[in-house]
Amino acid sequence: MSRQVSRLNRWIVCLAVLALLLGFGPRVGSALAAEKVIKIGTIFPLTGPVATAGQRCQAAVQTAVEIINGKHPDIKVPLAKQEGILKGYKIVLVHADSQGKPDVGKAEAERLLNQEGVWALIGSYNSAVSKPASFVAERMKRIFMCGSSSSAALTQRDMKYFFRLAPTDATESVDFVEVLKWANKKNKANIKTLGVIYENSEFGKHAAEEAKKAAAAGGFKVVTDVPFTPGATNLNSEVQTLKKANPDAVFGAVLGADYSLWVRTMKQANFLPRIVINYCSGYQDPVIAKQLGGDANYFMGSSGYSPQFASLMPEVAAVEKIFKAKTGGVPFDGNSIQEAVAMLVLAQAIEKAGSLDTEKVVNALNANTWDSPLSLGGKVKFAKGGQNILAKSIVTQLQDGQYKRIFPEKMADAKIVFPMKPWDKR
Amino acid sequence: METLIQVLIDGLLSGMVYALVAAGLCIIWGVMDVINFAHGEYLMVGMYVSYWLGFLAHVDPLVSVLASGAFVFLLGALTYKLIIRYTIRRPGLVALLATFGLAMFLKNLCMNRFSPNFRILSDTWLGGKTFLVGSLILPVPQLAAGILSLVTIGLLYALINGTRFGWAVQATAMDREAAELMGINTERIYVLIFGIGGACVGFAGGIMPSYLAVHPEVGSMFGLIAFVCVAMGGFGSIPGAFLAGLLVGIVEALAGFYIAPVFKYIAVFGLYLAVVFLRPKGIFGW
Repeated sequence: MSRQVSRLNRWIVCLAVLALLLGFGPRVGSALAAEKVIKIGTIFPLTGPVATAGQRCQAAVQTAVEIINGKHPDIKVPLAKQEGILKGYKIVLVHADSQGKPDVGKAEAERLLNQEGVWALIGSYNSAVSKPASFVAERMKRIFMCGSSSSAALTQRDMKYFFRLAPTDATESVDFVEVLKWANKKNKANIKTLGVIYENSEFGKHAAEEAKKAAAAGGFKVVTDVPFTPGATNLNSEVQTLKKANPDAVFGAVLGADYSLWVRTMKQANFLPRIVINYCSGYQDPVIAKQLGGDANYFMGSSGYSPQFASLMPEVAAVEKIFKAKTGGVPFDGNSIQEAVAMLVLAQAIEKAGSLDTEKVVNALNANTWDSPLSLGGKVKFAKGGQNILAKSIVTQLQDGQYKRIFPEKMADAKIVFPMKPWDKR
Repeated sequence: METLIQVLIDGLLSGMVYALVAAGLCIIWGVMDVINFAHGEYLMVGMYVSYWLGFLAHVDPLVSVLASGAFVFLLGALTYKLIIRYTIRRPGLVALLATFGLAMFLKNLCMNRFSPNFRILSDTWLGGKTFLVGSLILPVPQLAAGILSLVTIGLLYALINGTRFGWAVQATAMDREAAELMGINTERIYVLIFGIGGACVGFAGGIMPSYLAVHPEVGSMFGLIAFVCVAMGGFGSIPGAFLAGLLVGIVEALAGFYIAPVFKYIAVFGLYLAVVFLRPKGIFGW
């Protein structure tokens, strides 16, 4: 008898599993439809060597969604005062982890669009991931909002559904060369030669290309070009190569844990150029800057935001409070804030279009200039190809652990420390 | 010339650490015919032990290296008791996949518990210090790691070749059943060998937070290089793993500096391919 009951139980379990597989389970999808939700997919590197940056980017999108879905009369950003968009629609995020790998990011984009049925995508921090993931979205005629990937190539593809908020490494390279010219003029720096160190990825390679172009146009000679494998066990030969060439200035495109290894290896090799300027990288990561302590000081880099920009962007404080609750007190950085902007601008465009018709929202994105108190420029405007032509950044220098605004001079709140202080005098 | 010597020093110091990581993997393979895919993750666990002792109790990595070694010894022994012993008389692929699963588990457990954040120990006794010989720079943390590696590998070699325990290990490696007939408790040998293999990589992981950031992915590349060293040196040969570790470090440094930094791992894996093509059993294999 007990054997028969056991056999019956086994059959019931099999039937239940089969029923679930065939879709007779709880209808989550239909429940969501009844609740009027818009599903947005996020793809960030939540694991891997740049996971901290990816997790903050995800937290930034969640912050923006919290503002859009709720009523926040005290927050002065668009859509904060109303609850939801399109008269009652709420945004629901579906998250994916790219691990910082292009193939994984592409597969996740396909999964989010095909299986999760998301309406649009946001991501992906790494330019190398944004590139294939946005191709998937373009093929399926879905919007891809790119907050912080900086490779200029992304917006040179003439894609219709791709929109990028951050400044590109092309514009940053020009800015960096302007900083060198300015230092030569102001500080009689006599900078003539340049070295470039970069990770061997879409982001790094493109940044290096743009750096070389901008340097040539500015009359600087690139004396060494040092690509490296991300996640390397050491950067000894990379630093020795830089040391041998001994450039006056170095531009770096070095992310995450590699950045701290690079700085520490330079210290061990007792090598320090007179000026180092970084693309969006480990330099911008406040956690890495804190952990490196005094060794992180006097390095420079461009940023669309850091807590020291608060006086220029007073509206950020209230939003940052929500963000910090999600990151254990870590503030916005130049990358994560762009992802929040990406979400807010997309929501504004949906509201403006008055519809969830992708074509109408794309037209709205292209046709309008968007208020963006979380952007340094205060506004967002997309050109053909999807680049935000009003994107701005400030070149900062870490001084006593704080990102001081250095260039352009009219926005500066501190003087540049030039040349960088030697390692033994810190 | 000075630059060449500096590059060689950097390569040798890296190579010694590779050798220590590889020695642990090598002894496990040599005795048990088990490829431990979780070896890189053992390194990561050792680094975390050292990091947390440094961060919470202000114990310097130079001291906590012992705790890391002991912790990973226990982890290794536990791995054998809970996983490997059930795979030992089955096809080799079973143990390989089991350790691969363990690697995933350890990596994701650390990710879940400690987040993927990079963690750097500041103000360690050795951190950032250098030792100058003329114009040559010897980074003290890497130098300490190199000395630790030499001492540990030396002790391991002496243990295997100069003690009754070592002879029992060699007998077990040659023929388990015959060793059992001679009264050797091979089960105990296996537990200890997995533990000792873990302790080697635990020592390496214990000292590394003096100069390297700790994060859940940190062991992956070291694990891969350890496989190359073991295969190149000859599976099961401790001197082979040591020599291969040094060779890998030097080739990596020379190729990185004289060809291009991005070629350093290409050169290492190229050398590996060349060695296994010409001598499939590795340099010291038979």
